[in-house]
Amino acid sequence: MSKLKIAADLESLRKNVIAQRETKSKWVTVCTGTGCCAYGAEALADGFEEEIKKLGLSATVGIRRTGCHGFCERGPLVVIESKGHTCYVGAQLKDVPLIVEKTVVGDEAVERLLYLDGETGKRASNVEDIPFYKHQTRILLKNNSLIDASNILDYIAVGGYSALAKALTGMSPVDVLNEVKEANLRGRGGAGFPAGVKWESARKALDSTKYVIVNADEGDPGAYMDRSLLEGNPHSVLEGLILGAYAIGASQGFIYVRQEYPMAHKHAQKAIDQAREYGLLGKHIFGSSFSFDVKIHRGAGAFVSGESTALINAIEGHVGEPRPKYIHTTEKGLWGKPTCLNNVETWANVPFIINRGAEWFRTMGTESSKGTKIFSLVGKVNNTGLVEVPMGMSLRDIIFKIGGGLPEGKKFKAVQTGGPSGGVLPESMLDTPVGFDELTKVGSMMGSGGMIVMDQDTCMVDTARYYINFLAHESCGKCIPCREGLRQMLNILNRITAGEGREGDLDLLEELSEFMEMASLCALGQTASNPVRSTIRYFRDEFEAHIREKRCPAGVCTALIAYEIDPVKCTACGACAKSCAVGAIEKVDSKTYRVDQEKCIKCGSCYSTCPDKWGALVKVPAVPITRPPVGLGALCEVRSQCKN
Amino acid sequence: MENMTETTAERALPGQLDVVVIDDEETFTEGLRQTLEMGGYRAAVAKNGEQGLNLVRSAHPGVVLVDLKMPGMNGIEVLGHLSSSAPCTVPIMVTGHGTMDSAVESMKVGAFDFLTKPFDPERLLESVRRGMSLNVLRKERVAATEPVPAPPPDKNDLLLRGLEVLGEAYSLGLDNRQLFDDLAYLESEAKYHAQSLGQIKQKERAILDIRDDLRDVDTILEKYDFEKGALIQVLLDAQEKFNWLPRHVLHWISARLNVTVKEIYTIAGFYEAFSLKPRGRHCVQVCTGTACHVRGASEMLSRVSATLGLQPGQTDEDQQFSLSTVHCLGCCALAPVVQVDKQYYHSPSRNKFEKIIKSLDKEVPQNV
Repeated sequence: MSKLKIAADLESLRKNVIAQRETKSKWVTVCTGTGCCAYGAEALADGFEEEIKKLGLSATVGIRRTGCHGFCERGPLVVIESKGHTCYVGAQLKDVPLIVEKTVVGDEAVERLLYLDGETGKRASNVEDIPFYKHQTRILLKNNSLIDASNILDYIAVGGYSALAKALTGMSPVDVLNEVKEANLRGRGGAGFPAGVKWESARKALDSTKYVIVNADEGDPGAYMDRSLLEGNPHSVLEGLILGAYAIGASQGFIYVRQEYPMAHKHAQKAIDQAREYGLLGKHIFGSSFSFDVKIHRGAGAFVSGESTALINAIEGHVGEPRPKYIHTTEKGLWGKPTCLNNVETWANVPFIINRGAEWFRTMGTESSKGTKIFSLVGKVNNTGLVEVPMGMSLRDIIFKIGGGLPEGKKFKAVQTGGPSGGVLPESMLDTPVGFDELTKVGSMMGSGGMIVMDQDTCMVDTARYYINFLAHESCGKCIPCREGLRQMLNILNRITAGEGREGDLDLLEELSEFMEMASLCALGQTASNPVRSTIRYFRDEFEAHIREKRCPAGVCTALIAYEIDPVKCTACGACAKSCAVGAIEKVDSKTYRVDQEKCIKCGSCYSTCPDKWGALVKVPAVPITRPPVGLGALCEVRSQCKN
Repeated sequence: MENMTETTAERALPGQLDVVVIDDEETFTEGLRQTLEMGGYRAAVAKNGEQGLNLVRSAHPGVVLVDLKMPGMNGIEVLGHLSSSAPCTVPIMVTGHGTMDSAVESMKVGAFDFLTKPFDPERLLESVRRGMSLNVLRKERVAATEPVPAPPPDKNDLLLRGLEVLGEAYSLGLDNRQLFDDLAYLESEAKYHAQSLGQIKQKERAILDIRDDLRDVDTILEKYDFEKGALIQVLLDAQEKFNWLPRHVLHWISARLNVTVKEIYTIAGFYEAFSLKPRGRHCVQVCTGTACHVRGASEMLSRVSATLGLQPGQTDEDQQFSLSTVHCLGCCALAPVVQVDKQYYHSPSRNKFEKIIKSLDKEVPQNV
């Protein structure tokens, strides 16, 4: 393939590719994102290939393995593109001949495999009719379902790299910068710092060598939109990065991918290789004086490495610990040179802004947050997956309209946004519009876009403990407030969930929170107390139930619950005993089983195995264990006794 | 200082040189040689191409710094001769007038690096260090391809033959005390040697294994051009290759990249991805991300842990399975998720998980 020397080459290539594709009348697209692959999407795609070859349809029917479509809950997803887009959910290998016969050869839909709307009882055949997609505004994610990530021509066919051609032929770097600045694109990584302002200070920095970095170290547990973008549409991120480099004046870029995402690494590498082949990376791109190249750097699994200065340390080959922030990375970053670092999603927004203009971008969103945002809607919600909505949509709309509410008719309790640095919001806050400042105001934050829905069976004390445990583990330990503060918080929360909470624990937690926020070195420590503060703020009664009554209202904290078999309901089917990994369920007589509390590890295996129609296994409050006080606690006790 | 450099230059006998500088500018070469010697390299200077090539042929240096423009033979020609007469030596091109074309031209004829005068001493030493590493690697490659001389006759074989001869004599009826004693002595001697030979062979095998490991590490290091900054990438590749980071591998990387062992251990200890203990052939990872947590990851973990009989972070005795927890696998829609090797599973029941484990048990491990 010859290199694209001028911008007009791109347009003619695009026309060629489209003309070539039009020889096929139908396309079978199979989602091969990580979620669908776990449901066997690769085998399914192979099945389609074989079936189409067998029927001799290869000339008119094309097959495409695409990135994540977003609706991961109902995978594997298959879309047949002809006049309409027929979407099948949860198709299995054995359904392939039927789908090919009915929809590919004929023009009918296979009713059984279409999405069933639980509310209306109707089946939706078109992608746009599925409520999950209907209420979204898919701009960044749209192309994911249209292109094969390992083929640059697919990206070019949907208009890829046209923003780059536009910028390099008709816009100066300052024009590009101003467009992004005017669009008020805010960083999608969490803090929401305006990308244009960051770019400008990197541009103004006096140094001839500058760097741009894509932060794909998506460490937030519960978020996977960056993975999806980089796996499904790596060229869009790359194009954004090249545009950014052009605006700032950088000639070398890096993509920092966490090693837990091998497919993202593979696809990004392939995208870089192909872009080089076509002359979109390298010397004199589109015949201009601008030259740029990109390298991939794999992370090695550390949450704090997602922090910009820590990430820069990691690229330099050091331990990924944050640096003090009084020197901006835009002035002295990677190897002491001006560096501009943005999140995957931020970069992916840039080509759209250049192509359609800042004006268009500003039509979406709230006063201070513009554009769309991808959320990973997960947890106790019916339609889990990736959703892209304009900023300003209410949490209620996202969870109930797009997410389809909670499964099994359970009651909504809270939604957690912003990852470990964010907070939980109760039902009364559900009408909050999503936006950087709006969410911060109510005690949570936007973060990178994790949105975890919790129902009545989720214990909020346990949730707080979970986050603090995570952060205590991930704190790099460089500064004391964060390291020791988190350890003490974790101790207190562990005690509370073990039924050994004391009066005054909540005050102590709040005091620690305040101190950590003031004194920590980086954002990890400064925001670490958010999960604790917001849970105490909105769910104080649950904490008090743990501390005063030694009771876990949600039935989660294992020290406070026990599993028992109701002898009246038990039919002695023995399913629970078979499912028990430690042999804690024994047969008493021919009619009843019993749980041996000594052996039970409270894994809940029996609880989920017992058929719903019997419902013989029940969670009961455990008898509180009274341990003799030890250590410091004992000392305090003795002292108070002496005083009395 | 003047004295010291002179003596080192005198001591630099042929065959003991690290770096040869071929350049006609004397003012420049003297400074260059001093920098190199301060960096711990034994260096010598040649004034023109011919002299330089002769010196290289007799002294076999690791790295040659060649000036691009010289009267007589120019740098490109010198490199052409070098590649045939001293293939292991790593040439680095040096020039006062660097252009893009000359850099490309030099790389084409096999220059490892291209330095433009005047250059930073640190940049020079770093480039020479990387060149020396490549030289060692090239020499080892050559040594590995040379035919191995036939092993000397095994002492054990000789003893056995002696035993055979004696046994024959004995069976012929030459029965005397002396002969019997000789036989018994030879027998015990043979046993002893066989034993120690076995031990030696075992040790040899272990050493050969380590050598193979280190060769693999070299292949990885070469991929990253012996760059210091690529340390984490090198460790990740090594981890993938060996499934953990053995001590000899870390020490080797430390020597090759000129990074302290302490720094390597700090990094290997800091990042989750690295394991300083051997891990099982199959990795079971339970995701404890928030989405998984609210959908019952901790219950699943206790289930998995009880089935395997392992606590998170442990490996079983026959190094078959390792169990670990990860913060987020990025498959939140499938929560709760467990990853076995490269495959993701959505909340397997106890029976299903046992089946998965059993199907892995049957597979014959590749590296045994």
